[in-house]
Amino acid sequence: MRSVLKHNQPKRLITGLLFFLISTLTINAQDGNPLKGKELFNANCAACHQLDKRLVGPPLQKIGEKRDQKWLIKWIKDSQSLINSGDKDAIAIFEEYNKIPMLAFPNLSDQDIIDMLSYTDGNQAVGADGKPIDEAYLNGKKIFQVNCAACHKLERKLIGPPLGNISDKRQMPWLKSFIKDSQAMIKAGDKDAVAIYEEYQKVLMLPFPQLTDKEIEDVIHYTTLGDNEESVQLSAAMDNEDLQIYRIWIIRFVIALISLILIIIIFSTRNLLLKFSAIAMLVLGFTYYAFSWLFQIGVDDGYQPIQPIAFSHKIHSGDNKINCQYCHSSAKHSKTSEIPSVNVCMNCHKSISEYKGILYDGYDKAFYDGEIQKVYDAVGWDKINSKYKENFVQKPIQWIRVHNLADFAYFNHAQHVTAGKVECKTCHGPVEEMQEVSQFAPLTMGWCVDCHRTTEVPMASNKYYQEIHKALAKKLGVEKITVAQMGGLECGKCHY
Amino acid sequence: MRSIFKTFIILILFTGLLFSCKDKRNPNYQYMANKDMYSSLGYETYSKNPVFKDSISAQKPANGSIARGKIPYDYPDSVEGYEFAKKNLISPLEKNEENLAQGKYLYDIYCATCHGIKGDGQGVLSQREKFLGIPNYKDRQITEGSIYHVIMYGRNLMGSHASQLRENERWQIVQYVEKLKSELQ
Repeated sequence: MRSVLKHNQPKRLITGLLFFLISTLTINAQDGNPLKGKELFNANCAACHQLDKRLVGPPLQKIGEKRDQKWLIKWIKDSQSLINSGDKDAIAIFEEYNKIPMLAFPNLSDQDIIDMLSYTDGNQAVGADGKPIDEAYLNGKKIFQVNCAACHKLERKLIGPPLGNISDKRQMPWLKSFIKDSQAMIKAGDKDAVAIYEEYQKVLMLPFPQLTDKEIEDVIHYTTLGDNEESVQLSAAMDNEDLQIYRIWIIRFVIALISLILIIIIFSTRNLLLKFSAIAMLVLGFTYYAFSWLFQIGVDDGYQPIQPIAFSHKIHSGDNKINCQYCHSSAKHSKTSEIPSVNVCMNCHKSISEYKGILYDGYDKAFYDGEIQKVYDAVGWDKINSKYKENFVQKPIQWIRVHNLADFAYFNHAQHVTAGKVECKTCHGPVEEMQEVSQFAPLTMGWCVDCHRTTEVPMASNKYYQEIHKALAKKLGVEKITVAQMGGLECGKCHY
Repeated sequence: MRSIFKTFIILILFTGLLFSCKDKRNPNYQYMANKDMYSSLGYETYSKNPVFKDSISAQKPANGSIARGKIPYDYPDSVEGYEFAKKNLISPLEKNEENLAQGKYLYDIYCATCHGIKGDGQGVLSQREKFLGIPNYKDRQITEGSIYHVIMYGRNLMGSHASQLRENERWQIVQYVEKLKSELQ
């Protein structure tokens, strides 16, 4: 009996540990963000879908419970090819909805779709503290920072009066009409309005007729709650990052623990089979890690150098929706997508000398203004007199290049951007969400080749190569040809 | 027991080696770093250059040089130049769908952020009040020549967009702006 016990226990231990290891490794699968999902849904789907009603397409409430997530991702990205592949469910929907094909959304990432599903499944946006996020508050805060923050603060006087808890002092209808057109109220002889006007040196408040009643209510809601919640949110976000690191270390610890247990088994057991399998597992495990370590040498994804100016792509291209190619204009014609020269910055920053947008990551307005000043210092712009200084020796801004392809590989931006019509974010990732740019793609050969194998060449739109594409498709006996079939895998195309 | 202790230490060292943290502020190590196949021996466009005083590799062309295939723009950057271009400058491009489509593509990138997709002055930057007072095309007296001249040199708060667009691209945008203007009226 004793030997049986001895025989069984380590085995159970190993299977248990293996199970634990696998389950910890899959922790990384991310959950959806319903708030972002709502935004995406309204931008992309709401034209044809409602949550609870049939529109052009089916209602989407709880669609995540009806269909498999992977199926949905495939369908949303390209429903036509799913139908063509003979998928039964896909064909049934296509038939049911009058054979109107759904627009393909290849621009949405898997995470985007998961976010949207999280919204359609009726999840409420929840902050890291487990409480639902107050949408009116966030909206009000945004509007306040864009429209009011130039002259008002919550807690103290600026150009105008402090606005914290303003709803205790004034009635909502009064506030609404004052914000929309204060001058009219003063002229009409409203006592309170005239008193404020007198108190603040007769500086007129800009009228905001463009704000709706709902928006003003949101702003007032924000001023009532104040900024306390922000600090909670900020620290919560940091906690989340800490949690990520924490998870990684748990995984590492578990791996180390398993290795240790395997070693103990090797030294202590007399069962040859067990001993041998433990050694084999240990060797295989370490070989795996050794190789994955060797493979990441020279791969720089995640590289995020500290730039001389804290230029935020999130502010420029995310909030202000400036197209990538506005600044990186040579991507369309040149091998290199350039770092814009300062004259391009000055196209806007001649007039924008201070930052009035949303403050991110705990930086204040003075910090952002200082960063804009760095541009002026480099180029010699006198912001007070609004002209370039005379006889000023301009200095280059020494940006640090993030994406460095090894010199033995040839890459051409124009070929991808203009001829191939590849989106910038396909390779550079969601730059419009990055405060600091980091390298998104690994830029390894396998990564290039994968894309060349799967990307179809748009033959119809390319007049120049029409004939040759036709001949090639005929020769290969296929309807659509990929970059690889066109020669995109030949060594000499990139290495010469 | 001692051997187990030893292996444990080896294990910790080995784990440390495998999981040694990658520092995101510095580039990763490379096989054969600093050899000529990874980084170029020659000076690259944006690399530092000890040969020049200002240490910039990308030097400006010498004064008066004309790049191949480019025609210098003779109208001066002044009020007279603007008026003269407005009267006399005529697009060399044929008016066709292809030019219009390309014009729209470029307009949406380089102009629409301020001037709006429709040319009504309601771009994202004006809606967010970063830039105020952007005119609606229909309110302005503009001609082919004046549009081109303004893209070339800028006007008032608008900066020059000559460095971002080639000559024929500017003319394509001009064609599209004229179409927008006619649609607004």
